Amino acid sequence: MCKSDRVTHTLDGLKETLVIWGAEFRRAVRSGRAVVLLGLYSMFSALVLLVIGKLTSDLRTTMNERLAGAGADAESTARMMEETRNGVLGFLTSNDSAMMEALAQVPIEVLLVFKVTLFFLPAYVALMGFDQISGEVAPRSMRYLTVRARRSSVLLGKFLTQAALLVGLVLVIDLAIFIYARIANPDFGFAALSLNLLKFWLAAIVFSLAYVALTTLCSSVFRTPGVSLVFNFILLFVFWLMDTVGRASGETGSLRFLRYLSPSNYAGDLLHPKITEFGVSGAAYAAFATLFLLGAYGALRARDL
Amino acid sequence: MSDLAIELFGITKRFGPKVAVSGVSFSVPRGAVYGLIGPNGAGKTTTFSMMCGYLYPSEGTLTVMDVDPSTPGALKGRVGALPQDAVLPPGWEVGALLTYWAKLSGLATPENEAREALEQVGLMDAWKVQTQALSHGMAKRTAMAQALMGRPPLVLLDEPTAGLDPRIAAQVRQVIKDMKGRQTVVVSSHNLQELEELCDAAAILDKGTLAQAGSMSELTGQGAEFRVQIASGTVIPPELTTLPDVTDARMEGESILVVRFGGQAKPEVVISRVVAHLLQSGVLILGISRGRRLEDRVLQLL
Repeated sequence: MCKSDRVTHTLDGLKETLVIWGAEFRRAVRSGRAVVLLGLYSMFSALVLLVIGKLTSDLRTTMNERLAGAGADAESTARMMEETRNGVLGFLTSNDSAMMEALAQVPIEVLLVFKVTLFFLPAYVALMGFDQISGEVAPRSMRYLTVRARRSSVLLGKFLTQAALLVGLVLVIDLAIFIYARIANPDFGFAALSLNLLKFWLAAIVFSLAYVALTTLCSSVFRTPGVSLVFNFILLFVFWLMDTVGRASGETGSLRFLRYLSPSNYAGDLLHPKITEFGVSGAAYAAFATLFLLGAYGALRARDL
Repeated sequence: MSDLAIELFGITKRFGPKVAVSGVSFSVPRGAVYGLIGPNGAGKTTTFSMMCGYLYPSEGTLTVMDVDPSTPGALKGRVGALPQDAVLPPGWEVGALLTYWAKLSGLATPENEAREALEQVGLMDAWKVQTQALSHGMAKRTAMAQALMGRPPLVLLDEPTAGLDPRIAAQVRQVIKDMKGRQTVVVSSHNLQELEELCDAAAILDKGTLAQAGSMSELTGQGAEFRVQIASGTVIPPELTTLPDVTDARMEGESILVVRFGGQAKPEVVISRVVAHLLQSGVLILGISRGRRLEDRVLQLL
């Protein structure tokens, strides 16, 4: 194939991807399933937000009462509250001083809810997209597509559809969390809110794209959507286990390297203010996403439809 | 550009230990309506699916419109295909779905192409209907419409009339007839009468192997035999074999006379000669048919 043929071939593939992306996205947005899943995840996030909001509020009240009972003045109370906040923040950021400083303005509820929703986001991604490919292969509707488009275009178009849906969903959830935080903490200024909303949104997108690619891989490997979903959950559990075991092994354990093979290991630095740390984390997620997508393409390219 | 639309050479397809198609070779000339014939499990759909690039051959070479169908994007714009058991994706209006597919095929006016194709299969009323609400017949015709969009040079149709009522089936057959000469059409079907009516040539498959391939005239023996339905009188077959070019004559049951003749002879000359002889012998004739029905040939082969 000469150079101009290759360029034409690539452009044609890109056009196909865009057509599939646009059409599938419109269908997904109109479908009841996307709305139901969005509603469910919003409800789940709202529940987490309310529980954590209530817990932190109760904790503050209890501490204030105890400190008042112990005869502490306002300055000591404020210092104690700040120390408690820093303790929680240190726990959430692995005591990284740069990160603690960068997140100093963010209400603790936001961080906690963000962490919890991020933990469950891969499961949501799996539920949303487990049948993106297998759902077309099993009833053979894929055949209508592959006779007029490359398998790679179908795969990328479907992946981008899921990714676009997720970008919207994460924005909605993050926006809701930050609006709640603004109402609950009037000190949380608009400028800090906007900047942090952008940071959190970007971090969630980078994080979740790797999991969208993982779901695409699972959906490409199996013909039956149900099996894709189960396998997806098994992989999520395996990754979580690898991360947990790797961390539990400490700095010298023989299994300590396991955590580097799990995407969740790199989530911690996605909110890091230093570009290097964020870059490494982002690159790790990009590498995982690329690996999963290549695997998905390999599986789809090699299979009979 | 080759004169052949499709060329299979030694094609084999295995699914694990099961051999679905074994060493099949035949070719489809451009512009022909070509039939794929065979009982259930003969390998028709597997062969069809390899032509469309859905399945990869385990062995052999396959060329469709001068390209290898397993090459990514190679069939785009060259082939329209109606797969047998492919379900239309749910959640789409028929018109929107066909427009999307037309756009994906790179057609210049996707919506017009979609409307024209739906009109061809008599389904314009279904433009706004959701795919999951279509009846079997309507879904089949929608699938047929997507294969026709953009008038691709090769149209592959797997069981195009299966499950359709007679009126709609006749309409679909007319669509295929209209494509004759302008596009190459491959039709896979169980309906041998339909294939005999539509096809210029066919391949007969049985248990994954090629039983016979050739023009319809070769398959039905139109150039080598004819049948005479006798109303009354006594036929003496040995007398007929003495006539020039007649190689064999025998009674099939009580009233059907089967006459075979040499491949070089002109059928009209031999038929006239035999009929004249029969009339002279006082035999009255009810009808004459050239060759044998495709169904008889297939039953004989399988």
